[in-house]
Amino acid sequence: MSQYPTQSLCPICLARIPAQRVWRGQEVFLEKHCAAHGFFQTVIWKGAPAMAGWHRPKLSSRPAEAEHGAKQDCPFDCGLCPKHAQRSCTVILEVTQRCDLGCPVCYAASGPKGDDPSPAVVAGWFERLGQTSPGANIQLSGGEPTLRDDLPALVELGRRAGFEFIQINTNGLRLAREPGYAQALKNAGAASVFLQFDGVNDDVYRWLRGRALWEIKQAAVAACALAGLGVVLVPTLVPGVNTHAVGAILEAALAWYPAVRGVHFQPMSYFGRHPGRPTDSRRLTLPELMHAIETQSDGWFKVEHFRPPGCEHALCSFHAQYLLSEHGRPRPLHPLPMAGQSVAPIKAEEGARRAIDFVARQWAAPLSGSTAASGPSCACKEKIPESSNTSPKNSISLDDFLAAAQSRTFCVSAMAFQDVWNLDLERVQGCCIHVLAGDGRLIPFCLYNLTAADGRALYRP
Amino acid sequence: MKTTEDWSEELSWRCAACDRPLEMGQVTVTYMENSFTTDMPRCRQCGQVLVPEGLALGKMAEVEKILEDK
Repeated sequence: MSQYPTQSLCPICLARIPAQRVWRGQEVFLEKHCAAHGFFQTVIWKGAPAMAGWHRPKLSSRPAEAEHGAKQDCPFDCGLCPKHAQRSCTVILEVTQRCDLGCPVCYAASGPKGDDPSPAVVAGWFERLGQTSPGANIQLSGGEPTLRDDLPALVELGRRAGFEFIQINTNGLRLAREPGYAQALKNAGAASVFLQFDGVNDDVYRWLRGRALWEIKQAAVAACALAGLGVVLVPTLVPGVNTHAVGAILEAALAWYPAVRGVHFQPMSYFGRHPGRPTDSRRLTLPELMHAIETQSDGWFKVEHFRPPGCEHALCSFHAQYLLSEHGRPRPLHPLPMAGQSVAPIKAEEGARRAIDFVARQWAAPLSGSTAASGPSCACKEKIPESSNTSPKNSISLDDFLAAAQSRTFCVSAMAFQDVWNLDLERVQGCCIHVLAGDGRLIPFCLYNLTAADGRALYRP
Repeated sequence: MKTTEDWSEELSWRCAACDRPLEMGQVTVTYMENSFTTDMPRCRQCGQVLVPEGLALGKMAEVEKILEDK
């Protein structure tokens, strides 16, 4: 058994306490002890690739502008303080607290009522972000942002402030129901839709969202395809509820290519509104998800394709990029495994730059024309070999590769958020997904949404 | 794909080792575990290639950026 020291919070009183990553065979646990509330243990990694080889070293980059000095120390000093090791890659702006779904599971615990910041306030946010997070990707979120009739105008505000990539995080209800709405967002300058998408039948939506939504989701994708908005399918995965649907979700995504640009899986975290304190059987760790993807896709997407991130902390995510052959088969852009290899450190800000560019390129609609959801098989003339080994017979013409990269790239990724049970402050300090709080502070996503066992929030008002 | 006309300046070079004129020919280049074929000036005898600046700063740089891992 080996251990690695870090810090966390007590789930009961939110006091900062020492914690350890503890290896037991193929499993890794976060263990911590609060003098007042006792011992807590949560599984954080299960199986191969081993956590020990899952690294992507970075040289810390201070945020463009540290918002203040350290006072009570991490995690109580947000906005970003000098201890933070990464700039913003994506900034989330909650433009409403209202939502028309009220899901049983919601990190923001949104409901039908709540406040909307005025357009002038949102314009002020963009102005501030121009100083603290220049060039970052923007996600307009909530609540449900499409409840605001002036959402297209807010997108325009962001574009005028110089932010090139603006994505809408949505349940898809309005996109599905209102003809022309997707086009209005596109015309305003939105690039991409981050679509809540938990499965391909109504059972999963009834469990996670409280109602049947399968038809709505299909209509939302079709509307985005028609308007030329890139779509990222975002499943929240809960063991025993929809982890068996990973393959079917990928199959649907490929069938909707090129409108659907990729799938971004999010194992469920237990903050905001959720069913209660989770047991380890209600956790899905990143290696387990990688194996589910490989098994359920008949090996089209393999564990060895997945790589640790160069932007956020290595333990927070994985991703793989693919070119689709003319028969719709994914060919990995990086066929050799990175896990377990010795990787030279990069500057954290260089990792952020690459991630910003990658997301803007991959998650927006392809440059070449229509995104009508015709499926991945195509009459395109580029020949992309289905095998990815580097023997000369699998070479790609440079011109075919460049043409295919414009229109036929696909991405599979996942992010493991942290809740009060598995929070690891080393990971938080490398975070690049920041929420802009109403008062203008930038707060790492997991800390902004973190709630104690009794529901008390660390930061969210 | 660039044609021989596009690389006329490069094709005026001679191979220093073999003292033969360069000719356009298909070569395989490898970057980040991916193999690509493209035409560029090369010596028919020894196989050495001359990478034209336009190709290095154009299509090759574009491929590098696409393969740059996030």
